[in-house]
Amino acid sequence: MTAKRDVSLTVNGVAYSASVEPRMTLVDLLRGELGLTGTHVGCEHGVCGACTILLNGQAVRSCIMLAVQADGAELMTVEGLSEDGQLHPIQQAFVGQRGLQCGFCTPGFLMSVYELLQHNPAPGDDEIKEALGGELCRCTGYQSILRSVRDAAARLRGEVPAAATEGEA
Amino acid sequence: MTPDLPKSLSDLPVTAPKWVGKPVNRIEDPMLVTGRVEFIDNLTMPGMLHCAILHSPYPHAKINGIDVTAAESLPGVVAIVTGEDAERWSRVGYTSPEGWGTHCMATDKVRFAGEPVAAVAAVSRYVAEDALELIDVDYEPLPVIVDAHAALEPDSPRIFEEHDSNVMYQRDFKWGDVDGAFAAADHTYTERFRWHRVGANPIETFGVISQWNPISETLTCHGSFQTPAFMALGRAAMHRLPTNKVRAIGQPHGGSFGGKGGGRGIDITALLSRKAGGQPVKWIEDRLEYLSAGGGQAWDRFYEASLAVNDDGTVTGLRVKLLDDLGATGEGFGATGAAKPMASFTGCYAIPNAEYDLTIVATNKLPASPYRGMGPPPHNFVLEQMMDIAARDLGVDPAEFRCRNFIPSDQFPYTIASGNEYDSGDYDAAMKKLLEMADYDALRAEQEQARSEGRLRGIGIVSTIEPGVFDWNAYAVIGQKGVGVPEGVSVSIGNTGKIIVRVGFPLEGQGQYTVAAQLLADYFAVDIGDVEVVAQDSLSAPTNFGPGGSRLAVALTGAVLGAAGKIRDKFVRVAAKLFEVQPEDIELMDGKLRVRGVAGGAQLTVGQAAGILIHRTDLLPDGMEPGAEATFVWSSPDRVPPDDDGRVKSYLTAAYACHLVVVDVDPETGKTEILKYVIVDDCGTRLNPANVEGMIDGAVAQGVGAALLEEYVYDEDGQLLTGTFMDYLLPTIHEVPATEKAALVTPSPFTPLGAKGAGESAIHTTPAAIMCAINDALLPLATRATEVPATPNRLWTLLQAAKQP
Amino acid sequence: MKPAQFDYADPRSVEDAVALLQQHGADAKILAGGQSLVPLLNMRLARPAVIIDVGKLRDLDYIRDDGDALVIGALTTQRSVERSELVAREHPLLAATTRYIAHPQIRNRGTFGGSIAHADPAAECPALAVALDMQITVVGPGGARVIAAADFFVTYLTTSLEQDEILTDVRVPKLTPGTGWSIQEVARRHGDFAMAGAICTLTLERGRCAAARIALFGVGAVPVRAPEAEQTIIGQEPNAALFEEAGARASAEISEPLADIHGSSEFRRHLAGVMTQRALTEAFSRAEAR
Repeated sequence: MTAKRDVSLTVNGVAYSASVEPRMTLVDLLRGELGLTGTHVGCEHGVCGACTILLNGQAVRSCIMLAVQADGAELMTVEGLSEDGQLHPIQQAFVGQRGLQCGFCTPGFLMSVYELLQHNPAPGDDEIKEALGGELCRCTGYQSILRSVRDAAARLRGEVPAAATEGEA
Repeated sequence: MTPDLPKSLSDLPVTAPKWVGKPVNRIEDPMLVTGRVEFIDNLTMPGMLHCAILHSPYPHAKINGIDVTAAESLPGVVAIVTGEDAERWSRVGYTSPEGWGTHCMATDKVRFAGEPVAAVAAVSRYVAEDALELIDVDYEPLPVIVDAHAALEPDSPRIFEEHDSNVMYQRDFKWGDVDGAFAAADHTYTERFRWHRVGANPIETFGVISQWNPISETLTCHGSFQTPAFMALGRAAMHRLPTNKVRAIGQPHGGSFGGKGGGRGIDITALLSRKAGGQPVKWIEDRLEYLSAGGGQAWDRFYEASLAVNDDGTVTGLRVKLLDDLGATGEGFGATGAAKPMASFTGCYAIPNAEYDLTIVATNKLPASPYRGMGPPPHNFVLEQMMDIAARDLGVDPAEFRCRNFIPSDQFPYTIASGNEYDSGDYDAAMKKLLEMADYDALRAEQEQARSEGRLRGIGIVSTIEPGVFDWNAYAVIGQKGVGVPEGVSVSIGNTGKIIVRVGFPLEGQGQYTVAAQLLADYFAVDIGDVEVVAQDSLSAPTNFGPGGSRLAVALTGAVLGAAGKIRDKFVRVAAKLFEVQPEDIELMDGKLRVRGVAGGAQLTVGQAAGILIHRTDLLPDGMEPGAEATFVWSSPDRVPPDDDGRVKSYLTAAYACHLVVVDVDPETGKTEILKYVIVDDCGTRLNPANVEGMIDGAVAQGVGAALLEEYVYDEDGQLLTGTFMDYLLPTIHEVPATEKAALVTPSPFTPLGAKGAGESAIHTTPAAIMCAINDALLPLATRATEVPATPNRLWTLLQAAKQP
Repeated sequence: MKPAQFDYADPRSVEDAVALLQQHGADAKILAGGQSLVPLLNMRLARPAVIIDVGKLRDLDYIRDDGDALVIGALTTQRSVERSELVAREHPLLAATTRYIAHPQIRNRGTFGGSIAHADPAAECPALAVALDMQITVVGPGGARVIAAADFFVTYLTTSLEQDEILTDVRVPKLTPGTGWSIQEVARRHGDFAMAGAICTLTLERGRCAAARIALFGVGAVPVRAPEAEQTIIGQEPNAALFEEAGARASAEISEPLADIHGSSEFRRHLAGVMTQRALTEAFSRAEAR
């Protein structure tokens, strides 16, 4: 057996350490070893984006990264978004604008949106598309996701949220 | 006894519905956006092993032997199964058409690349995959058939030796006087079309944890099952178990679209668990497995279609000849997709004579699966192209041509040539609204301008039916006997008026739990948060099927309102006894039971009435069963088996949509850009309009994928060339257009509250619309795109050929 | 879809990395950002016995202004290049090219050196290297040497890096005054590898094209220059007809493009010409504007 390696990292502000085979992917560490199952696996070859997390503040694919590569890193996953039972404004926007259906890809979208809005509090549609072009959703057709991101940006800027769901009186 | 179900929103026992018909937020979503939903791969169990499956690299080969000894001795490996174990403990799988099935793992030979040959259960997926590399299979390659036409040749190698050809099904359906219509027509048009394989590809693949209990001889499976009860039934048959010995627990799952697949995975993990002495075994299908060996491939079709048309633009006959390449077996209900087009064969049009010459053939490709729409999307693409071909030849505007042939709004319910009955609609109104919204005349003027500048601008206008609320009788002709698809729920109300509704299907993404909660919240005038939806396993839930065939919102509405009605009837009798009046004098309105027509009189709340039924049985009318709960099982009324010509009243509802698409085809790169997309649709009463809109947007995206991007490509040796997401191209946020939408509401006279099936949605329409737009763009070059998807390479090739003198 | 076993080393210096490469030879594979390698590991299409993770060589993460060129450390992420103010100011073509690479989530991990060392002929960075004559510094047991981009790409996913050498930095020449640029590509979807692409620079002097460079990608085993097409316009007064002719030349002079399910050889050849024409047209308009 290949020697295991110790990995220490912080996820959502909590310090973890684990001893892993070098071949273990980061997402398998998060889900299987640390029990953080909010991050999902959709393709394991870096295309679908379901496994997107923040690594030192940047959105990355956790399925095409080895756990050992994250040694010493600060990670954030979907579990770190809401606090004290309160949805994060991005989550509120996705609920209010119907930015999800089955919800499987959603954690990846949320993390990519989080990174986008950190850098760009008022993105235009082209910028939103550029940020989310690497996140696949098979349910929504993306239109409600675009609305969600616009709404999330507005919420984070402290503006009044848009009228809840499209078509609502 | 069937209670009287409310036919419209105004029949609900509430002054004004607060929830039903409103775009209320989904109760499912807070859990989903926080990553707290228990998808199958989140689940772990004590002693759980991980399965990896060895798939055949050969599309067609004899298996001379399998040596697993090296794999067995790898540390961490607990059990290995092969076809021998499948033969010992399970049966050949059920198929339609009948008699084209195999075991869950290959026994004598493999019939497609990707067919499971062996499987390992080990302490981790990593170790299980290591073990696969140590299994030695002695394959003897056989001649491969990939081409559907070649498979029809008498001397073609056989996929199944016991059959005397590869033809799985052949029948020429004729309805009306088709030959007469074509003989008498002023014009006839014929064209061939090719639709390549596409498929569901939910972002979550299939997954399962199976556990065999060697003492009780029971099988328990947790999994991402679209229809747990139906899955359990299949597993019982497969593993020769009594139906009450298989418990299927549907986990919430990340989409299905009919193409979740997984039957073989459940069976293989069940065998592994049995071999491992009862340890639970998890298998999470990976994406490569999904693409090459899962439930993701549908509709591999060669069409020839003809239209008979009179000078005045009346279409009098439609002929469709279909060669459907189903792949290696008849498992997984793929063939239903060839039968379903009969439910809306002539589309929105009053075409009295029709013929469907259907051949289903086996090849060495992955067995085809269902996919959202279940077969009509390619058929609609063909029909709508034919309508455009005829319109152009007659010099009639395509929208006008369709209007001339629409079933008139005063003719509903209307029985189409193939026997199905459409419930209601106003197609003309939808088309007019569409053209008005799109500013059609201006679009045509812009097109003229674009053409004069040498650009290839096209406008596609189509109208299609979405058959809703499927019935098994629709598929009887290809071997799925049965009438009715019962959907049951049980509802109970506690003594504080809090409501529980128990259903048999897991979360899948369509928002049906929200619909159930909306219905009960209005029925008993409580807050939507006072309704809890609980999913039950296959041994606990009432008789049910779950989502499929655009049915669940309607069926669930029937079941929920039926159960609610039964509880109301008990409440009414309790109140009548208490108030010393006759039951017919009591009404439930706005959550109160009161004497009809008496203002300010005595009344009972729902909670009080429930409390009496639970805690004061002394107050109940004689003989009344205690408890404020009821189960109701709903199924479509008035369904019967098909007649001798295959005509059948099958799908209960006929939603419809008109789409208008504007595209530019880049003549230099062959790339299609969607510039404008307008939709008018009518699915009757909208129980939750935001749910419906979400379905439309999502189905448009899948339609864009089918029309422009997605295709399973096999080489001539039967190897899949699109085995990753780098090559099987799902649309991204960049490729899917924004849509402008409007709704008409023509309630169904046949369903509770007048709702129609709406889940499959725009997948029926979008591919046809985009292809019509592309062909409108190509019109000046006198060429025609008849192959889907219309890739840049294909369109460029057409343009090159058109340029040749 | 889990990687096979491998041994793992994470050297802290270039010297240590080279020593490990020497020790393990062909059994070893360097892991930088991993955006190309890890998918191959997951699919078990790559089966190295040893992974040498150079991720801890943080001193290879920099972008430096070196007068007539930018020097980029091998481990600088594509995202850092994309977002660099220095790059935006001094090398807009480099910034623009980076934005064509896949998606932000990939660029956040993918490294500039890695994309060049990976040598995918459909990728943008290798083509830019060829277009600009980048100088690629590699370090081996005998020290550093510099390889010109034209000599670096050997064939599909293969470079002239020796088994025991590691790419450490890339020198990216700046565009000279009066030079316009363009990158054009056509892919099935936004962010996909190109079916064909062209990177062009065009230098104007007194209304004539004094210099031109055309590099094509997605059309062969390596990114290629199109010298005949370049000669078509050099010395000429640029105009639409000339760009069309140059496109036709580019299309004709490339050797047989690789066909795949997304594009036949013939189609890619055609697209290479179209992309060349479009890139020259845009480069010219930028040159005029400068």
